[in-house]
Order: sequence, then C-alpha cells, then structure tokens
Amino acid sequence: MSTVQVAEPKPRLIVPQSVRGAGVSLLGLAVGAGIWELIGRRTQASSFAPFSKTMAALWGMTTSGELPHALESSLQLFGAGLGFAILVGFFLGLLLARIRVLRTGLEPYIAMLYATPMVALIPFILSLFGFEFRAKVIVVTLFGLWPILINTLEGARSVNAELLEVARSYRSSEPKLWWHVIIPYTLPYTMTGVRQGIARSLVGMLASEFLLAASGLGNLILTYTQRFDTAHVLAAVLTITLLATALMAVGRAIENYFARWKAGV
Amino acid sequence: MSAIPQEAALPRTFTLPAGVQRAAMRVATGVALLVLWEVLVRWLAPAFVARPTTVARAIPDVLAQRNVPPGTPTFWGSAEETVLAALEGMVIGVAAGVLVGLTMGRLRTADRLLRFYVSAFFAMPIIAMVPVMELWFGYDWRVRLTIVSLGAFLPVCLNVYDGTRKLPAHYVEVAESYHARWWNVWFGIALPASLPYLLAGFRLAVGRVLVGAVIAEYIANLKGLGSFILFDARTFHQPEMMVAVLFLALLGVAVNAAADLATRRLLPWYRRAE
Repeated sequence: MSTVQVAEPKPRLIVPQSVRGAGVSLLGLAVGAGIWELIGRRTQASSFAPFSKTMAALWGMTTSGELPHALESSLQLFGAGLGFAILVGFFLGLLLARIRVLRTGLEPYIAMLYATPMVALIPFILSLFGFEFRAKVIVVTLFGLWPILINTLEGARSVNAELLEVARSYRSSEPKLWWHVIIPYTLPYTMTGVRQGIARSLVGMLASEFLLAASGLGNLILTYTQRFDTAHVLAAVLTITLLATALMAVGRAIENYFARWKAGV
Repeated sequence: MSAIPQEAALPRTFTLPAGVQRAAMRVATGVALLVLWEVLVRWLAPAFVARPTTVARAIPDVLAQRNVPPGTPTFWGSAEETVLAALEGMVIGVAAGVLVGLTMGRLRTADRLLRFYVSAFFAMPIIAMVPVMELWFGYDWRVRLTIVSLGAFLPVCLNVYDGTRKLPAHYVEVAESYHARWWNVWFGIALPASLPYLLAGFRLAVGRVLVGAVIAEYIANLKGLGSFILFDARTFHQPEMMVAVLFLALLGVAVNAAADLATRRLLPWYRRAE
C-alpha cells in the first residue's frame, strides 16, 4: 500500500510480492475449505455437507453426465436470453439516441423498468407465454436488457459533435455515419452494459429455472434440496459460482478490449 | 448534453416552452404504451390477463383492502413485510459492507484473504442459495433476511473497497505526517473519499435487495409482496397482482431518485464522468 518504503535493513529471504500475494490468497482458499469441512462434519448431513463430500458429489455428477447436461441447458437459456438482450438493447439504444422524439418519450419508462425488480413480472410472463423455454428466454432478456440499453443510449448520445460534423461535411450518409462513427464510438459503452447485463441475466436464468419449468442448474438445486442431499446442492451452487465468476471475467475482458478506443480515457 | 446538431429549425410561429413540450411528449408516449398494452392483451391474451383498464380499476380496491376474501394476503400487510425486510437488509448489508470494504482496501492481507470470496459471491446469483437456506433456517424470515443482507453487502463492500484502493496516496501521507491514527485514516479520509463509490454500490444494492426479497418470498413462501403477487397470479387476480408490481417499481424508482438527490446535495463536488 505505502509506496514510500525506505531501505529495509537486511533482506533475508526475498519472496516476490506476487508470489506472496498468491500464497496468501491460496491460504485464504484453503482456510475457507477447512472451515467448510469442519462445519460440515459437525452439522447434520441434511443441512450442510463437508467440503470433501461436496467435491465427491461434484465429481459424481460430472462423471454421470448429470452436471454437464444441466450446465448445457442453463447455458443455452442464458445465451439465448443475453443474446436477445444485447441485440435489442444495442439497436434500440442507437435508435433512441438518434431519434429525439422517441428518446424523450421513452426515457422515463425505461428508467422505471430498469428500477423494477423484474422477478415481480415472472407470474405475468407465465400467464402470457407459458413456462417453457420461450418464456424463460423472455425472463432472462428482461433481466439483462436494461443496462445494455441505457449504456448504449448514453454512449451514442455522447458522440463528439465534431466527429459528426466532420463526417457530415464529407457528405457521409446516415448509414455510413452509423457504421464508421456512431457504432464504434458506442461499442465500449455497450460492453459496460453487457458486463452488467451478464450478472443480471444469470439471476434471471436461475429465477426462471426456479419459478417456471424447472430445468438446468436451478432444477438440480431444487431436486436435491427436496431430497435433503446437501452435498449435491452445494456442488450445484459451487458450479454456479464458478460459472458466474468465469462469465464475469469474460465480460470484464470484453469490456477492457473495447475500452482501448474509448475516447477520453 | 444534446451535442448532436439537429436539423436547422424551421421558422415557427408559435412554440411551447421546452419543458412543457417534453412533458407532453412523455405523457403521450405513456398513453400510447398503455393503449398498445390494452389492445394487444385484449386481442391476443386470455381475459384474465391484466390490462391497464382492469389494473386501474383494481387500484382503489387493493389500496383500501376492500373485498379481500379471508385467508388472502392483504396488500399493506404484505408491503410492510417486504419493505421492512428490505430496510433491515440494507442497514445490515451497508454497515457490514462499509466495514469489510474499508478493511480490504486498507489491509493488504485482508484483501488477499477475502477478495476471492467477495468477488465470487458478488458474481454469483445469491438466489441460488435460497433452497439451501430453507434447509438451514426452515421456511422462515431468516432466509429472506440473509438473502437481502447479502444482496446489499456485496455491492457495497466491493465498491467501498474500490474507492478505498483509489485513495490518492498523498492524502494518507499528509495525514500520517500529522500523526493521524489508523482510525482517522480509515473513517476520516478513506471513507469520505469513497462516498461516491459507496453511493454507486448503494444503488446496485437497492436493486439486488428488492429482487432478493421477492424471490425469497416466492420460493420460501413468506408473507410479503412476493407471495401476494404469486397468490394473486395463481388465483387469476392479475389486476390486483399488477398493483403490487407497480408498487415495487415505484419503490425502486423512488429510492433511486432519493440516491440521486443525496448525491447532488451531499456530494456537490462529485460529478459523474460524462
């Protein structure tokens, strides 16, 4: 933390900072697993399972194909929902940024929908679209859409006036203006929205798997909870945690990639 | 900031003030959306599906709690449950989030020990834990309180941590050269400096708390707006259900507006980078 460190007296064993940091982090993980194991051994099997049993359950579900199958089903739902959210959010955001009437008219309603807890609408979506894959994709999309839309809108509105003027003075047509100026300028903003949308879509994915037709990882959690098989439940939760962490890392990587040409940063 | 040059204004004989124009446009769009909803549902959906007209008709009855059959959750009772739980969770989550975030931001060992856990829990949908928590606590308010507190804790903690990490080093150096104690640095310098981050975390937390409360109520079948919505949906009382949905939406909007106002009033020196 403190950058001003004056000559240390005698450097004995020099361990690079990065190695020490990784060591402490690993120690943190090991301690966490140890505590998990201890708690698990001291409580009833029906409420908490030790780390070792959870790992065994994870391995069992992986080799039996149960977990990969559930993961695939969940990822399909997540991918379809987030894909729609990105498509709709991006194009609607661009349109709203370019068409002032639409923007002024819709802005307050978009802000309101962004602040609405979308879970509250799940029963309504159930009545309109049923509880099969289609309805679930709609739920995931509704969760993920808003940050993408709002960030795109904000990005496309903040395009430099000079850039537009130069493009116009070279007689750039509206499609070319979009393709060469507005879309490249907006993409970094959209990607910030996508990163936020990933987290929200994951919540939507699980919520729809819990509340609409049970499937995928949500279904695993529900069925094993009903059997009081905590080892398998925790294994599924752990899988979701790892999946979420990986997806967030991907989101951050995409965001950083596009941020390279973000103006003014 | 409307930097996009509009087409040269046509000579007009009469113009309304810009604010009135904008308001009129917004109201008109709202009406158009409601009409669209009404028409689409009438045309395509079964009769029990909520439409703006039926929802509007249901509002007074729901708010006055008239015609509530026995055994049915009442609106204000449910709203009170949910709002109180959300408030409790916010208080617990924000307090713990500030403390842990500051600790992680100031102490490198704490950072290394905890960072992995905090960011993993932040990334994962906490609602995945609801079924397990039912096993731990039973179908009980504690499930909701835990979910809601975690939902508030994680974004606040990560944001305060971020803010503390970005604290300019010379602030601390000056303070230390005046013999500031660690608690002076933590709460006198690091915390105020990360207030904008804290507020950003607070806004994320509000969203997560409302979603978490409603889902916990759905799944654990707790008294609250979530079960109110579910009950009405299952008994084909969709207009009544939509009133609760609207209430939740307005709650979200109101808290966000309050956070905006607080940012402007309390942190006039802070501008969002736009």
